[in-house]
Amino acid sequence: MKTNIITRRVASCFILLSTLFISSCEDFLDRPQLNNPDDQSFWTQENNIRLFANEFYPQFFVGYNSSWTLDYSHFKGYMFSDDVVSKNVQSLFETSVPPSRGSSSNTTSAPAWMAQYAGPTWYFGWIRKANMMLNRLDTRMKGTLSTESMNHWTAVARFFKALDYCRLVSVFGDVPYFEAEFSTGDKDIMYKDRTPRNEVMDKVYDDFKYAIQNLRENDGNQCLNKNIAAGFISRWMLFEGTWQKYQNNDNTRAKKFLDFAVEASEIIMNSGKYEIATDMHTLFGSDNLAGNKECILYRHYDATQSVTHCIASYNCSYEAQDQSANLDVVKAFICKDGKDWQNSTVENADKFDLANLIKTRDPRFEASFLDKLNVSAAALLFTSKFVDRTGPKLTAPIPAKYYSNTNTNDAPVIRLGEILLNWIEAKAELSTLGETAVTQADIDKSINILRKRPLDEEAINKGVVKSALMSLAALPNDPSRDADVPQLIWEIRRERRMELFMEPSRLLDLKRWKKINYMKGSVKPDILKGIWVDLSKEMPSLLTTAKKGITQVMKADGSIVKFNGSNAADMVGFYLPEGVKDRDDFTDRVYLSPVGKSQIDLYTSQGYKLTQTKGWE
Amino acid sequence: MNEDRKRRSVKSYKLLTTLAFVLLIGNTESFAETTTLSTVNTSSEQQQAQQIQGKIVDAKGEPVIGASVLEKGTTNGTITDIDGNFTIRCKTGSLLVISYIGYKTQEIRASKNVKITLTEDTELLDEVVVVGYGSQQRKNLTGAVATVDVNKTLDSRPIADVGRGLQGSVPGLSITVPSGEVGSDPVIRIRGQIASINSTAKSTPLILLDNVEIPSISLVNPDDIESISVLKDAASSSIYGSKAAAGVILITTKKGTKTDRVSISYSNNFSWAKVAKDIDMATINGMEYAIAAIERVGSTKTGAFWKLDKTSYERTKAWYEKYGSTIKPSDPIVYGRDWYLDGADKMGVRLYNAYDHMIAEWTPTQTHNISINGVTGKTTYNIGLGYFDQQGLIKSAKQDDFKRYNATAKLSTELNKYITVRTGYLFSQRTKSYPYITSSTTADPWLYLYRWGPLQPFGTDENGNIVRSPASEAAQANTATQRTNYTNINIGATVTFTKDWTLEADYTFANNEFLENKPGTRYSAADSWSAPILRKDANGNQIYVNQDGQVVPAGTAGGMTAYQLPYSMYTGKGANPDHIYRSSENMQQHTYNVYTTYNLNLQDQHLFKFMTGLNVVKSKTVTQWAQKTELLDFTNPQFDLATGTQTSGGKTYWESQKGFFGRINYAYNQKYLIEANLRYDGSSKFPDELKWRWFPSFSAGWRASEEAFMQWTKPVLSSLKLRGSWGIIGDQSVSSSLYVPTLSYNNSTWLDGSTKFIYYGTPSAVDRHITWQDFETLDFGLDARFFNDKLGLTFDWYQRYTRNMITPGVTLPETYGTSAPVANYGELRTKGWEVTLDFNHRFNNGIGINAMATISDATTYITDYPVGSPKTITNQSAYYKGKRYGDIWGYRTERLYQADDFEYNTDGSLATIVVDGKTMYKLKGENPVYQPFVQNSANFRFGPGDVKYKDLNGDKRITNGNGTEDDPGDMTVIGNSTPRYQYGFRLGGDYKGFDFSIFFQGIGKRSIWGDGSLAIPGYNVSDGAMAETFAKDFWREDRTDAYYPRPYNVGAVAGGSTSSNNTHIQDRYLLDMSYLRLKNITLGYSLPASLIKKVFLTKARVYASMENIITWDNLRGLPIDPEAISGYSMFNNSNYNSGRTGVGAPMFKNVSFGLQLTF
Repeated sequence: MKTNIITRRVASCFILLSTLFISSCEDFLDRPQLNNPDDQSFWTQENNIRLFANEFYPQFFVGYNSSWTLDYSHFKGYMFSDDVVSKNVQSLFETSVPPSRGSSSNTTSAPAWMAQYAGPTWYFGWIRKANMMLNRLDTRMKGTLSTESMNHWTAVARFFKALDYCRLVSVFGDVPYFEAEFSTGDKDIMYKDRTPRNEVMDKVYDDFKYAIQNLRENDGNQCLNKNIAAGFISRWMLFEGTWQKYQNNDNTRAKKFLDFAVEASEIIMNSGKYEIATDMHTLFGSDNLAGNKECILYRHYDATQSVTHCIASYNCSYEAQDQSANLDVVKAFICKDGKDWQNSTVENADKFDLANLIKTRDPRFEASFLDKLNVSAAALLFTSKFVDRTGPKLTAPIPAKYYSNTNTNDAPVIRLGEILLNWIEAKAELSTLGETAVTQADIDKSINILRKRPLDEEAINKGVVKSALMSLAALPNDPSRDADVPQLIWEIRRERRMELFMEPSRLLDLKRWKKINYMKGSVKPDILKGIWVDLSKEMPSLLTTAKKGITQVMKADGSIVKFNGSNAADMVGFYLPEGVKDRDDFTDRVYLSPVGKSQIDLYTSQGYKLTQTKGWE
Repeated sequence: MNEDRKRRSVKSYKLLTTLAFVLLIGNTESFAETTTLSTVNTSSEQQQAQQIQGKIVDAKGEPVIGASVLEKGTTNGTITDIDGNFTIRCKTGSLLVISYIGYKTQEIRASKNVKITLTEDTELLDEVVVVGYGSQQRKNLTGAVATVDVNKTLDSRPIADVGRGLQGSVPGLSITVPSGEVGSDPVIRIRGQIASINSTAKSTPLILLDNVEIPSISLVNPDDIESISVLKDAASSSIYGSKAAAGVILITTKKGTKTDRVSISYSNNFSWAKVAKDIDMATINGMEYAIAAIERVGSTKTGAFWKLDKTSYERTKAWYEKYGSTIKPSDPIVYGRDWYLDGADKMGVRLYNAYDHMIAEWTPTQTHNISINGVTGKTTYNIGLGYFDQQGLIKSAKQDDFKRYNATAKLSTELNKYITVRTGYLFSQRTKSYPYITSSTTADPWLYLYRWGPLQPFGTDENGNIVRSPASEAAQANTATQRTNYTNINIGATVTFTKDWTLEADYTFANNEFLENKPGTRYSAADSWSAPILRKDANGNQIYVNQDGQVVPAGTAGGMTAYQLPYSMYTGKGANPDHIYRSSENMQQHTYNVYTTYNLNLQDQHLFKFMTGLNVVKSKTVTQWAQKTELLDFTNPQFDLATGTQTSGGKTYWESQKGFFGRINYAYNQKYLIEANLRYDGSSKFPDELKWRWFPSFSAGWRASEEAFMQWTKPVLSSLKLRGSWGIIGDQSVSSSLYVPTLSYNNSTWLDGSTKFIYYGTPSAVDRHITWQDFETLDFGLDARFFNDKLGLTFDWYQRYTRNMITPGVTLPETYGTSAPVANYGELRTKGWEVTLDFNHRFNNGIGINAMATISDATTYITDYPVGSPKTITNQSAYYKGKRYGDIWGYRTERLYQADDFEYNTDGSLATIVVDGKTMYKLKGENPVYQPFVQNSANFRFGPGDVKYKDLNGDKRITNGNGTEDDPGDMTVIGNSTPRYQYGFRLGGDYKGFDFSIFFQGIGKRSIWGDGSLAIPGYNVSDGAMAETFAKDFWREDRTDAYYPRPYNVGAVAGGSTSSNNTHIQDRYLLDMSYLRLKNITLGYSLPASLIKKVFLTKARVYASMENIITWDNLRGLPIDPEAISGYSMFNNSNYNSGRTGVGAPMFKNVSFGLQLTF
């Protein structure tokens, strides 16, 4: 019968199919994920370790950061200092212990930025990454890499580990130090209490030493090398050295770190590769810093790659400067005779209106600020340092590179200018610790190089001239100098404030010098004022009826005049931002950040102890 | 005519059958052989019979067409013709079985000229319910299985998909439609909102179309559906194994009819949609609010791109009086009249309503369906074609719509008495087209409808240039498409070894393709975001205008220098969206099901059913995308017409599952029912040693009403069944890299020249011992029918545990450097109940009525969680042991402070006092309650009109304790975001061809703490937009009984930290998201059969139907739809439009008309 044949055919069909499915049982359920390499099989070649390390770059070499993110960026990232004033109440120091101060998210996200500490939160993802890198180099790549490669990549890992510990220490002081990668089972390690700062920084010191000795001189464009490392080492060793001197009164340790700061700075200074060759706006406003000899490392931006930033738009008048330069920082600028305004013999050195300031002050003043008052700045003096000359002058339509978050001027990440200042400051500090005194030659190869920085045409056309060089023999004796700061160091700090305005980091400088009181209006009244203005001439828009009882200036005698609708002509004086008030009082505990309460509770619940930062208990 | 049709159908039958055979066996010869055989069989049985005639009518006396008439115990049968008549040859006195879908089956003695009246079958106990790998008579069901009355629920409704149609009609099936985005899927959950807190595990039910998993319920054409079963408990769904852990929706499609005829149906629907709820945004009142908010902190001007101060506010009021009724949205924007410059700031004066420019009204939708089905000889077939075209709401878009094409074909033929083979084909194409305005899903144009205030201009400027706005961008944007092509092909067979032993085998290949095309552009407009420029005439001379915007000669009194918005191409080269982007995703899935069923009947007393089978699924998905920037031609964005950077990427996923399963059903005396299931499941998601697991389940039922001692209840209680079930299912819906530490690849923002560095991230920590989550359900239910089956009640109580739930591991200190690895540390329990009532009655005068009501509820608790996890209450999404899912912790609001709560200085200013380090306004009285902890901004002090929180713990301070459940301070649970008491009810009736139904649906209780300008009073006041509800009822010195506090600008901080000062999470401003919706009203009329048969119709119905027509909610007029889920849309399901509440495509209502014809 045909029917049976069909039945048999159909039946055998299904049996066949079934057999197919069942017989392939063994590997049928074997479907490993395909899209990402796994930790077991990744560590096979040098390029892979390079790709692993690449994640560090934008997190540690920030420049202008990217998109709207402002963490660690020049200008917007370092707004919390005695250089700026805002309307109403000044932003506060931290007032109470936070429930949480950290994060444990995956390492691709950066730790949150804390403006009040100019640093990171309680976050150890980068330490874990560096330790993991060290572990994999040691356990998986020994046969793969040459000794030279092994040493280089080990140095890379140790450098970033040390760099992150520097950031953590700058915020928290004592932080738990982790020698190596550990697993979830290693409770005693992960719950260890905070390691004393000195112990941590000794490890950092060793790691930095190793980095300097083993990093390649050149590992390709935009990649970490010995000089870049030396730049950051110069910054952080100066930080630690001065911290030890002023906060801990430990001169032995101070010397150890200051010596290293000098050594690292000299690697750069003596390399012959770097020089101060461009004016400020070229340095901060160029579309491409490749070849700029001042940059030890720069960050490149490119709109076609969607890698852009927003710092330029804050330096043109399209985004408001809610905080802007105050009278205190203005007064710190030397006059063109190289002297502070009280000692200066330059005509009108004691006048603080914008036109006069541009004419009489060091060129860095003109390079930092717009030559017209601008209401988008809280105190009218508008910072335009971090953009080229064109941006702030444009009227609509504005090209994308000047507004929103589509800016593309390159950022100097670490530059010779800072290294020279680090070096001379370390030298000067060392001389107070019994080392050789600073010589005029030292000044000439540091501060005076900066004073010889070329001026651009626009500055020259405005009549700006280079300041007189600093002479050790004729240091000005600034009447407003703190009694406990020697004359030379005072002038070095002033030079730093002028040169590094809104770069990393005035706040950390105040902290390492133990001068956080500069942030108090009661100590430094000028931090709450703007420059001298004649509003009816310079800014009539602040004298409309809507501004009655709001716009205010302070006369030279300290009396405050408020606009009443009819006293426009009398509105001449130091400009006071609307509703300006001093920040709430604070104590020395704000030098270091507390850790989150929940972490302390967690340690307690597990039978361990996490010590709270001093002053925050 | 009948003959004609038969001939046609024979032809098509041959064609289709041939096709099937070629597919299956490749031997066409045998086909002829079989038909001959069966013909011979039939004729031999009819030899000794005689002709019997009869007529079959329904309760209304209308003839029933196509009813099946079968001589009992034989295959001898026929169907009724168009007049309800039939003739059959059989022996007189033999039993005839009359059956027709929707009517009770009757048996009568054959006699000449019988007239049979069929009665409607509403909820027959003999009704066959589709269950996992088989079917079951309703009376014998022991699990929690709900069925949907497909006709009543889905017919005649102007809806895009089945999901929307099922809302409110199945208790325990929760369906939420979070926005009016056309082409989006509704959110579907079975029994509770969450099955596991693990984000990669699915809480969505498995949706099976004819036993094959489908990716979305919206690909199904509602017109193709024959039945829908919802398997709710583990005992019912565990047979489907590890993918069915969160419940199953079983959809079966129409097969051929049971009667030997061809039926052709056509139906259509035309509908028009309009926004369902007024978008009531503030205008003048909102400006007053903004002024008050800035004056409070000593500022004078606010606004984003368009500023506002007291002067401009007064001018706006004057403008409104003078022009409010005369200037139309289409009138150009004129300097001097509509805006002016103050310093560098553009001051807005004219009021614009984004709605006028953004939202289209009465957008059309149409649906057409054709289906052909029938049976010829031993072959049944069904062909369905569907077309759906729905317009979206974006007014100025070139194209904004959703279209779906469906084509299905099914064919089944009985080769011989042992083997029936079948094949099926399903194709569904869905295309969503929308203006590609931006690649951002966190700030799309809908956000801007609710972000900038009424001063932000729309329309055109004096020069006729379009002004930059979401509407101008929508108009210039090219059309993006999201296209899904789903195809599945099925072949299968049923082998009938004996009457009681069958084997079913099916193989299905499914191909799902998702194609995305995003053609960008660069925008040009009079840039309302930029600084203005001087307005000059053609000769370059400055133009002057007066306050009415009229051009006046220079020097005229009252004249002023005119400005205009700069016209420019403001999208930077290569910037978003100057690119073309395409992506494709292809999923291929092979499903193989084979199972065999054996029925054993021992003296009609012991009924056994044994079933065992194998289910194998494997799938592979390949994705890729490419993008190229810098388009050359904005009207024709193409890859080869772009000059910028190219980027691309892609991924491959694969997975497989295998399961062996078995089931035993035992019924004793039709009274005691027992069922046991066992499934042995393997999944590729786990490492070798954890791949295979056993999952058992059991259920039992007792048909109490069949007991002798219950017979006295019969007049009232027609039937009663008690049932219970227990079962456990494993869940493998997790990422296949869960136990593997992987490194993720990314592009860095670090550049060398124009090359991005790439990097690999740090591998996250994993727990290698991670294993399946187990879902264990206990269910008790009863099914009862009363008054001769007219009234039905179904009740279920259940408890579902998610054991071994994957949770973040034991909290590790932050020093670990990454999140603790997830593992099976948690447990979650959902408890709930479900009730369904239905009622059907036909009065003697022919009026039929029916009613249905459902209500259900579920609550979920975290019953286990890693020890040591802090019981954080300040973060709603933090979990801890004992937490009820969705609980919102907040403060209780006592009232608003009033002026006489405070002490004053002699000059009338508020006296101050320092409390806990913060300067506060001094309160009257002895030891009053201060709230320094919740005073969070330097420029904010609690004063008159601000919120006074309740001091729950009596410590004279408002705090959150230590922010944990153990020490919550003054916080308490003030609400829950889970939808509770979901209900629906329908009333229907028919009389003389007219039918009517009305359907309501709602949520009894749900609260959320919202985000954004529609939910938080004072949210980012500088942006401008706010709900009128806030703007008209905020605290002023002359309005002290206001509901909302004194204005203050609540800064929008990334991460949604609006919880500060007056807007800490609190009960007073918690959004009450409960609602009742008049979901549908349908009025239809079926033309009398006697009339339409002249045009060869068996059914002709016209109807009008309205959807979503009225909503009653408790949102005080806020323009938020009560179904809204903050941050959820089809484009981004976690942070859509930055997580702000209600700022997506608005929900709409429809009115529609339609026609249904059957030939």
